[in-house]
Amino acid sequence: MNKRLKEAFDNIHAEEDLKNKTRVFLAQKTRRTYAYKRFIPAVVCLLFVLIGFGGYHVYFTPTSFISIDINPSFELGVNRFDRIVSIQGYNKDGDRLADSLNVRFLNYTQALKQILENDDVEAYLSRDELLSIAVISSDETRNEQMLSHIEACTSEHENTHCSSADSKEVEGAHESGLSCGKYKAYLELKALDPDITVEDIQGMTMREIWDLIDSLSPNASSKVRDGAHTEDNHDKKEDRHNGRHSNGHD
Amino acid sequence: MRSEREVTLAIERYADTVRRICMIHLKNYADTEDIFQTVFLKYVLSSVSFSSAEHEKAWFIRVTINACKDLIKSFFRSHTVSIDEVIEQPAELPPDNREVLEAVLSLPAKYRDVIYLHYYEDYPAPQISKILGKNVNTVYTLLTRAKKMLKDKLGGEEFE
Repeated sequence: MNKRLKEAFDNIHAEEDLKNKTRVFLAQKTRRTYAYKRFIPAVVCLLFVLIGFGGYHVYFTPTSFISIDINPSFELGVNRFDRIVSIQGYNKDGDRLADSLNVRFLNYTQALKQILENDDVEAYLSRDELLSIAVISSDETRNEQMLSHIEACTSEHENTHCSSADSKEVEGAHESGLSCGKYKAYLELKALDPDITVEDIQGMTMREIWDLIDSLSPNASSKVRDGAHTEDNHDKKEDRHNGRHSNGHD
Repeated sequence: MRSEREVTLAIERYADTVRRICMIHLKNYADTEDIFQTVFLKYVLSSVSFSSAEHEKAWFIRVTINACKDLIKSFFRSHTVSIDEVIEQPAELPPDNREVLEAVLSLPAKYRDVIYLHYYEDYPAPQISKILGKNVNTVYTLLTRAKKMLKDKLGGEEFE
């Protein structure tokens, strides 16, 4: 009987068709699984790249600018973490000074201190040149905050003028190829002398521009102090700034 | 996940075993296809490492029996099945084989596994108890009863 059973079962085989169907089924399943698994590292890599780019973008995109003008004109780009991420010169002196400074990734107040202690800047200021610092941010609260920090930084320096500007002024400044601080002074000067051009301004120091504004202003002595006339939105701030400006200017 | 080569080898080695177990459990050929797919897919996705070919074979037997039981549980099925329904070309079977297999299939389901594992795969009762997850004494009892039933169906020949 054992033999009969063995023989009977021995004659039972998996049909070739059954085996083939199973092979096809498994191939489909595993290919799908393999394909899915193959995608995992790719998706993870893509995610890392996106996070990397996103982080890079967030970190390296300036959200505010600090425009610094004496004769050298340059602008510092400040990211949302208050770090300097770009520095761009707006004239030859500005380019040279920008190249000599090592302020990238510094907090903007530290950067400003370093700039004020720079030999070239000190040399300019000792020649009674005027240092104009303009803060430009699309966020008004941040603008205020940065301005007050910058004012604190520059409080010990004479002949400095701090102000804030809005993004429209920045656009105009950059279109004209001027830094924002110089562009604001240019607007003031143009209000007094419509013939003045950007080219005229470009080579002038801030001291020369302000002197020219003073001389053209019908109310010269108060004009400089009342420099807020181009900054309708910042009357309060300007009152504060003008005090410091005139301090060095008078 | 196992490689394509491992899967091809496993199909070559164990397809017949899986097929025989399907035959003693299932009512039709379509279900056999389902069980083949279930069992070999389980093998593909399983991360079990087998210590020997015997271990691997026992794994296939256990997984196939369980898969068959799961399938049977999900439908109302009669206790006995005809060989014509479970084999694609039953006519090709010699009459004696056919008689024996019909006798096995006529047994209640719980006896078919022990008969197959003991008389065809030559597993001793303790190993059958491990594969089926049953007590050894229960396996002995099932074997004794199954032998008697087969003897009644197939004639007076005594099983060894």
